[in-house]
Amino acid sequence: MTEIKLKLKKEHEFPLEADHISPDQFAGKTLAEIKKLPVYHGNEEKTIGDFFDVSGKSGEITDLKIILEGNISNVKRIGEKMSAGEIIVNDDVGMHVGNLMTGGKITVNGNADDWAGAMLNGGELEITGDAGHYVGAAYRGFWKGMQNGVIKVHGKVGNEALTWVTGSKPGNRFPTLICGSAGSFLGIHGHGGTIIVNGDCDRCAGADQIRGTIVVKGKVSRILPSYKKIGEVKEIELMNGEKITGKFTEYSGDHSVEKNHSKIDKKTGEVSNSSNGRLFVAA
Amino acid sequence: MVEKINTTTDVVCPFCGTLCDDLEVDVDIKNNIVVEVRNGCQIGSKKYFASNPSDHRYEKPLIKDNGSFKEVSWEEALNKAADILVGAKRPLLYGFSSTECEAQGKGVELAEVLGAVLDNTASVCHGPSLLAIQDVGAPTSTLGEYKNRADLVVFWGCNPVHAHPRHLGRYSEFVRGYFRKDGRNDRYIIVVDPRNTHTAQIADLFVQVNPSEDYELLNAIRAILRGTELDEKEVSGVQTEKIIELVNKLKSCNFGVIFFGMGLTQTLAHHRNVDAAICLVRELNDYTKFLLTPMRGHYNVAGANQVFTWQTGYSYSIDFSKGYPRYNPGEFSSVDVLMRNEIDASLIVASDPASNFPAAAVKNMFKHPLISIEPHHTPTSVNADVILPPAIAGIECEGTAYRMDSVPIRLRKVKDAPGECLTDKEILERLVEIVKKKKGE
Repeated sequence: MTEIKLKLKKEHEFPLEADHISPDQFAGKTLAEIKKLPVYHGNEEKTIGDFFDVSGKSGEITDLKIILEGNISNVKRIGEKMSAGEIIVNDDVGMHVGNLMTGGKITVNGNADDWAGAMLNGGELEITGDAGHYVGAAYRGFWKGMQNGVIKVHGKVGNEALTWVTGSKPGNRFPTLICGSAGSFLGIHGHGGTIIVNGDCDRCAGADQIRGTIVVKGKVSRILPSYKKIGEVKEIELMNGEKITGKFTEYSGDHSVEKNHSKIDKKTGEVSNSSNGRLFVAA
Repeated sequence: MVEKINTTTDVVCPFCGTLCDDLEVDVDIKNNIVVEVRNGCQIGSKKYFASNPSDHRYEKPLIKDNGSFKEVSWEEALNKAADILVGAKRPLLYGFSSTECEAQGKGVELAEVLGAVLDNTASVCHGPSLLAIQDVGAPTSTLGEYKNRADLVVFWGCNPVHAHPRHLGRYSEFVRGYFRKDGRNDRYIIVVDPRNTHTAQIADLFVQVNPSEDYELLNAIRAILRGTELDEKEVSGVQTEKIIELVNKLKSCNFGVIFFGMGLTQTLAHHRNVDAAICLVRELNDYTKFLLTPMRGHYNVAGANQVFTWQTGYSYSIDFSKGYPRYNPGEFSSVDVLMRNEIDASLIVASDPASNFPAAAVKNMFKHPLISIEPHHTPTSVNADVILPPAIAGIECEGTAYRMDSVPIRLRKVKDAPGECLTDKEILERLVEIVKKKKGE
């Protein structure tokens, strides 16, 4: 495995837009070439070499590891669209970390700002601290958010995580978020995401969810009125076939959305469980 | 002695998004002051009288020098402004909602030349509505349709009696329409609001919802509309039976409309409230004709969104720092960039963020050079480094404005601007020229 180390050498006044910090851009380039890649500071185009000390050696993309150090809490778009390799961030990180990524792994040893892993389409993003709002969410106006891959947040995620998440069992795409606790509107407009919250969750979890599974191992501050209680379960089967055991109360919904998914038999009033969105809250 | 009075009829009122177009304004020609405004509402008429020369009106360009303002020539003021903007690495251009479309277009050009962050007041107003519209679309129509056809009108989180005083009389409540010959008696009015407002007091049905819990109520309405029986007896402080009654009312009308305001867009769930309201309207169209329209505040904020959209592709919160427009409210919206202290100069056009933004954001704005294009003394302009006095659009110069339903209307000029005031468009045009020259383009 080859490693490239980037260390921020000076404070910067404005956010740095560093969408070129990714294994896809670094692979096969010499250090001098890497130093010449652009970053944006305010309305000026600068280079990576202006802001970072670059050391190490580049190599094949799948074999490449980028390590970032220094105060990079205001460096945006690290690992944008990356498809392979690995990035390790040893500090808090700015907005849009790992957005639109399709493969590889990003580890953030700290907190992440908003839009971490937005519209992720593969790969793995792990954040050991907290994450901001819109984790794995769709950008404004997009009808497909996160479509594949895994986001793990050890701390809490902000509001509107995984909006418009779109998964598919036949397509073998299981977009998954595992987090410590969550803000409001978790998985709004979901179309088949898997969300596991190890702690508590704020209001309106699973709003407008058409398909998908949300498991809350703590408390939900308020369950939406359009969710119907089904009963208690001892084992949950996730979309990708994995199982979670424990005592949970199962809800089905969101029943305010039409589509053929929200199935309530008009005659018997029975709620079909097979195709609906599901919400499990620890009993 | 009788003064010579010039009367202009069919004047379009440049105050709120209703853009009433039937005002009559009397101007004393000799002294160039407005003496009488007929047909206008209280707040609209006041704007005309406020245009008269007074201690609160700027008439000459000003530059701050050692803590006090001194009068300078246009050339000097514009040069100073251009120096500030060209020297900045991340300037903010904000405002635009209370001026005409041609000036807004020049604002976009300036932002592009500078590589600036460009935003309009929708950012702290109906921006969430635009986000929701981008997510789920919007079934809407012009106000004339509502006037002639609507037999059920819902005011959700808005108080037009005070904010858009003539809206009720011209379009939505008391007015007689082609199919609504009996005016108010032909309409059923529903108001949803946490407070018992004056609009609520003239409604047929008032639904008092808990503050910031509109989303749950909308969600419950949609679920009931889908035939779901709710598990709960009460949602957001409203009895489930009352919600069922409300749903039946919504389903049984011939032509319904929801007007919504800040009560939906600026409470906790922001754009998700509007998102749910739009989904409700969409689903109500399975039963009857239903539409919705945002109650826009500033008279030309809809125009700002229109102009920005056709010139850049996005309606607000635009960043030109990479040379091409990018859009991301929350990242490039003015309050957010100010809160994070990312700005090093700002140009405020026809707006007063110092009275409306969070204190921390305003503090950060005042840390850096500030240019204000503003006719009156405001908390923003008195803290500015350069003040460029404009003619008030719609009173002292012509232009185009978009009504809340996005109908463009030509504004009229009723009097000349006092002192050396130029129009917003002229100021921005000259600023663009000087900036281009300084940048060597």
